[in-house]
Amino acid sequence: MKVDSLMASQVYGQTQNVLKSGAQDADVDATGFADALEAALSEMRRSLQTGEKAAVEAMSGQGDVQSLAEALTATEMALETAVTVRDRVVEAYQEILRMPI
Amino acid sequence: MFDIKKAMGAAAAGMSAQSFRLRLVGENIANVDTSGFQRKTVNFINVLDRARGTTTVKTGQVQLDETDPRVTLDPGNPLADARGMVTLSNVNPLIEIADAREAQRSYQTNLSIFDQARRMHSATLDLIRR
Repeated sequence: MKVDSLMASQVYGQTQNVLKSGAQDADVDATGFADALEAALSEMRRSLQTGEKAAVEAMSGQGDVQSLAEALTATEMALETAVTVRDRVVEAYQEILRMPI
Repeated sequence: MFDIKKAMGAAAAGMSAQSFRLRLVGENIANVDTSGFQRKTVNFINVLDRARGTTTVKTGQVQLDETDPRVTLDPGNPLADARGMVTLSNVNPLIEIADAREAQRSYQTNLSIFDQARRMHSATLDLIRR
C-alpha cells in the first residue's frame, strides 16, 4: 500500500512535467502554425494575382501560353493546398466538438 | 518557393526557349526562296533566375548562318545577274524540318516534366486528404 502511494505520487509528478512540456510544445506549435498559415495565405494571394495577370495578358494576345500555364497551375496548386489544409483543420475542430464531456 | 514549383518554372522556361526556336525555323522555311536570305540560328544559354534561385534556359543572340547561298541558272528572273544566275537563300528545308522536330521533342519533354511536377504535388495532397 505504501509502495503504491509512493509510485502514484511519482507518476503524478511525472504527469505534471509531461503536461508542462506538452503545454509549452502546444504554445510553440500554435504560433508556428499561425505563421505557416499566414505565409501560405500570402503566397496564395500572390500566385492568384500572378495567375489573373497572366490570364488577362494571354486573352488579350500578349504573353505566351507557357507563362499562363505556369501561373495558372501555381494558382491551382496553392488553392488546392489551402483547401486541403482548411478541410483538415475543420475536421479536427469537429472531432473535438464531438468529444463527450 | 518549393522545389516542385521551381521545376515547373524551369520547364516553362524550356518551353519558351523551344517556342522561340520553332519560330526561327518557321521564318527560315518561309524565306526559303527569298533572294539573299541568310538562315537564322539561335543558341541556348543557361541563366540563373535570382528571384527563384533556379538555373533556367534562355535563348541567346540570334545569329546568321554564313554558308554560301544556293545559286541557280534562271535567265528569265528579274534578279538574274549578267550570267543569268540567281542567288537564292542558304536555307536547307531538310535541316529546318529536323530542327523543328527536335524543338517539338524538347518541348514535349519539358511539358512532361511540368505535368509530372503538378501530379507529384497533387498526389502528396491526396495523402493529406485521405
